Amino acid sequence: MISVTHLTKRYGRFAAVDDVSFEVGRGEVVGFLGPNGAGKTTTMRILSGYLSATAGQVQVAGYDVLTHSLDVRRRIGYLPESVPLYPEMRVDEYLRFRARIKQLPSRRLRSMLGEVKERCGLQQMGREVIGRLSRGYRQRVGLADVLVHDPELLILDEPTLGLDPNQNRQIRNLIKQLASRHTILLCTHILPEAELTCKRLLIINRGRIVASDTPENLKSTFGGGNRIRIEIKGPLADVHTAMTALPHVHRADLREDGAWIHGLIETAREVDLRPNIFELVVRRGWHLRDLSLENRSLEDVYIELTQATGTREEERS
Amino acid sequence: MRVFLTLMRREWMSFFLSPVAYVIFVLFLILMGLSFSMLIGLLSEGSQSGSVMRQLLGESLFFWLAMLMAIPAITMRQFAEEKNIGTIESLMTAPLTDGQVVLAKFCGGLGFFALLWLPTMAYAVLLAQVSPAGAPIDHTAMITSYLGILLIGAFYLSIGLLASSLTRNQAIAAVITFVVLCGFFFWGFVPYYARGATLQEIGRYTSAVVHMMEFSRGVIDTRPIVFYLAGTAWTLFMTMKVLESRKWRA
Repeated sequence: MISVTHLTKRYGRFAAVDDVSFEVGRGEVVGFLGPNGAGKTTTMRILSGYLSATAGQVQVAGYDVLTHSLDVRRRIGYLPESVPLYPEMRVDEYLRFRARIKQLPSRRLRSMLGEVKERCGLQQMGREVIGRLSRGYRQRVGLADVLVHDPELLILDEPTLGLDPNQNRQIRNLIKQLASRHTILLCTHILPEAELTCKRLLIINRGRIVASDTPENLKSTFGGGNRIRIEIKGPLADVHTAMTALPHVHRADLREDGAWIHGLIETAREVDLRPNIFELVVRRGWHLRDLSLENRSLEDVYIELTQATGTREEERS
Repeated sequence: MRVFLTLMRREWMSFFLSPVAYVIFVLFLILMGLSFSMLIGLLSEGSQSGSVMRQLLGESLFFWLAMLMAIPAITMRQFAEEKNIGTIESLMTAPLTDGQVVLAKFCGGLGFFALLWLPTMAYAVLLAQVSPAGAPIDHTAMITSYLGILLIGAFYLSIGLLASSLTRNQAIAAVITFVVLCGFFFWGFVPYYARGATLQEIGRYTSAVVHMMEFSRGVIDTRPIVFYLAGTAWTLFMTMKVLESRKWRA
């Protein structure tokens, strides 16, 4: 559905997107992650034909975004991050306007309008003036607009930004429903959201794709070893030496809290050191009240991937 | 075509959904009303010279003031506001060509401008009512006057649209437009005051004041018509290019 090869976008000497290549297959739901200023929005704007690339090729549904911009735009529903709407218009007016400029045939207008309003929970809101809607409803109007011409590809830039947890869940559920009918590229930096809704994640940092895989695989590939949480009573220095002496340990993070030492032991490889630790504690005559394996979260992977190369301060728009 | 009409309708509607349209309307009609009352004054003194339309439009300072005020007010928000609230992004990622967008905005603005002038047609009727000898109005001169207003208006509106596409701040767009139009207005006096023959010649070709005098006399000269149509087309083309420049500008 999307094919990006060697895409580069420069603003002067600053490369916002630097030699990026990726593919998104038909029907896939792909999360596009990265810190602010990593080049997410720029990439999405190029995909939607709002900006041109400095170099590289971008194809959507087999059409080149540069030479067949209108064909591409007809097949895309793009929701910009700020969810821009005309505040003076009413919801129905706005959606009808958007449907018409996206060339939805007149005979389908009425039924389509009803359908997207129902899917986005806007049935009662048709007569409301957009400027007076709450953030959550504005977001829904934005989504309804994106869906109104039934595009094959949805590009959503931070669709849950600024929503409360309830609205967040509603929008997330809606996106999940949409996944059965559309290809979706979901841009976000809310990791649990990406993990819940996307089958595959693309992580971009400083204009480059640093990882592309399923959330599970990302965790096991980049997460590397295990993390074990311990609580031990014993002399801190001794515990520290003993822990770092264990095989494959690359970091032992210990701190004293009263009589107990709380610690986090990280191993370089995926080995379970719990039996070794237990044995050690017994042999030395220390006390043990916690010994548990922690699952590495996607957040750890994300932080590892994006901090290794550093981040850039401000997103350029 | 359907898309174009939809765009134009929204443009048109957006005037009336904001208070701006009503403010423009009131101020505009006050200024034109002053121009009309001056004309009545002159007529009753019997001291008027030349045609009535010329007195009302070409020679009236109020007419030019109304033009210079109304046009920046109409065009200032057209692109600047879309840029400011970000709707330009959703607009330009819809399957529309830049030309469609620019032309729809221009036609919307021109439509509103024409609507402003509609009530002034009542002046002719009023004049006929108050003058015992029938209205001292030449109908041809009236038609050519409105033609001139539309032509000059179209050119000025396209300048305003270009200014609006250059910034996201409505006030800046309005000021740029106002300054440029004032420049054109004062340039209009060049043929009257310039010394060199060449300068006078150039002035006559380009002076809106001279053109308006001619139009309000009932003269249809193709030179100003071509001048304003070409100027409008060129400025709209530039607006398209400015709009397109977002794609590659740093």
